Amino acid sequence: MLLSIEPDGPVPIYQQIRDRIVEAIATGELPAGASLPSTRQLAVDLGVNFHTVNKGYDLLRQEGLLRIGRKSGAVVRRDAGSGPPDPGWEDDWAGRLRTLLAEAIAQGLSPDQIGEHGQAAVAGFSLRIEEGA
Amino acid sequence: MTTPVMLLGYFLVPVFGAMVCAGPAVTRPGVVFGVRVPADHASSPVIRRERDLYVRYTAIVTACATAAVFLSWGHGSWWLGRIILVLELAAELACYLRARRRIAEAKRAGRWFAGQRPAVVADTHWRTEPERVPVRWLIPALAVIAATTSLRLAYGPSAARGPADGFAVVIGQVFVTTLWTGLTLLFYRSRPDLDPADPAASLQWYRRLLRAYARAVLVMVALIDVSLLLHALQVWHVARPPVPLVLLPATAGLLTLIGTALWAGRDRAAAGTARLGRARAAGVTAQDDDRWWKIGLIYVHHDDPAIVVPARFGVGWTLNFGNPSAWLVVAGIVAGPAGLALLLR
Repeated sequence: MLLSIEPDGPVPIYQQIRDRIVEAIATGELPAGASLPSTRQLAVDLGVNFHTVNKGYDLLRQEGLLRIGRKSGAVVRRDAGSGPPDPGWEDDWAGRLRTLLAEAIAQGLSPDQIGEHGQAAVAGFSLRIEEGA
Repeated sequence: MTTPVMLLGYFLVPVFGAMVCAGPAVTRPGVVFGVRVPADHASSPVIRRERDLYVRYTAIVTACATAAVFLSWGHGSWWLGRIILVLELAAELACYLRARRRIAEAKRAGRWFAGQRPAVVADTHWRTEPERVPVRWLIPALAVIAATTSLRLAYGPSAARGPADGFAVVIGQVFVTTLWTGLTLLFYRSRPDLDPADPAASLQWYRRLLRAYARAVLVMVALIDVSLLLHALQVWHVARPPVPLVLLPATAGLLTLIGTALWAGRDRAAAGTARLGRARAAGVTAQDDDRWWKIGLIYVHHDDPAIVVPARFGVGWTLNFGNPSAWLVVAGIVAGPAGLALLLR
């Protein structure tokens, strides 16, 4: 996968690394079992501190998306086809989604507009999965 | 008497001059004289003008230095060729710094990076499906070292004064081969030179460069070892090959490497023009990383864990002097010949 970050952007680099990998898993670009570079290798390739990549990988590990082993390195643990999420994950996600939707409402988007954005995003991921299949 | 070292000193003047002169033509798009420029300013008038002037000035310097070398042929001491070479490189560095200053000033005054979206791209396949080092291409160099060792045992000086006596050439061959093989391994582990506007195509180009470069380096090493072998035949009184013949393999090896770098650079420059168009359309550009490049040539970035990074001017790699491991590489390169000299005293 191509991992693109904006070093001078407002989002912290570790968060950008985490977000790009989540998106790649959602589109099917990184299926369950796919290997990722080691933290050191990815830090070299992005020209960022080793701890920054480590922090991004650690977030993904905590979210159950990545498995990090001494011998196997960083491997994608689950994808869309791996069944229902871990218990409790959906409640956490709904909490974060609520804040995101509150931002849209506060900025004056209508429920229809919010629904359209959501459908377009989900359709984008599904389309990429079908194309990959 | 003309020695191989003396002759090499003369020969390097036109070769290095031509390389420096060709630098801008083979440099990656988006970096001009070590100054990072966004895609929509890559062909601005100031860049075109400075590039033309640089080529003109360095061509004049190279022509003058080459003429000086040929005129001094057979009249000067062994150091004359080297002095001319140092003066030539100093004059060409001045041409480079002049062009660089003008472009950096225009970039600052015009705020070229205002409103840009600088990005850095990594391709995870580069690490999960790494490029393999062409180890088989090392066989010729090893065969030449083995042949030299056999000849030393058969024809070398019988009254050895120390453990390394008479084996200087073999030790030199081992050093050259180890050094270049080690550097090649470092190049294979370095980060690829990716263009955020077209990462897939630039990674393909980088893979082609690495394959060609590694083969050219290992061919060059084998040919340098052959030159050392021919020199040893002279020292051991086995044969008396003329000096130009001793230098011929090493020269051919060096020219092979330079030719490969020039070919790869031209290949990238041709693709780069189309890429700049796509970058303009996408509004994506590489990060403005000038602050970590001293005079656009020396990379010092303490937070970057890379030891080796793609060079900013021309084609190749350079060390990240902000990483302590890079200083270990420098120490190894310096300590090798120094240790060899001590061993052979």
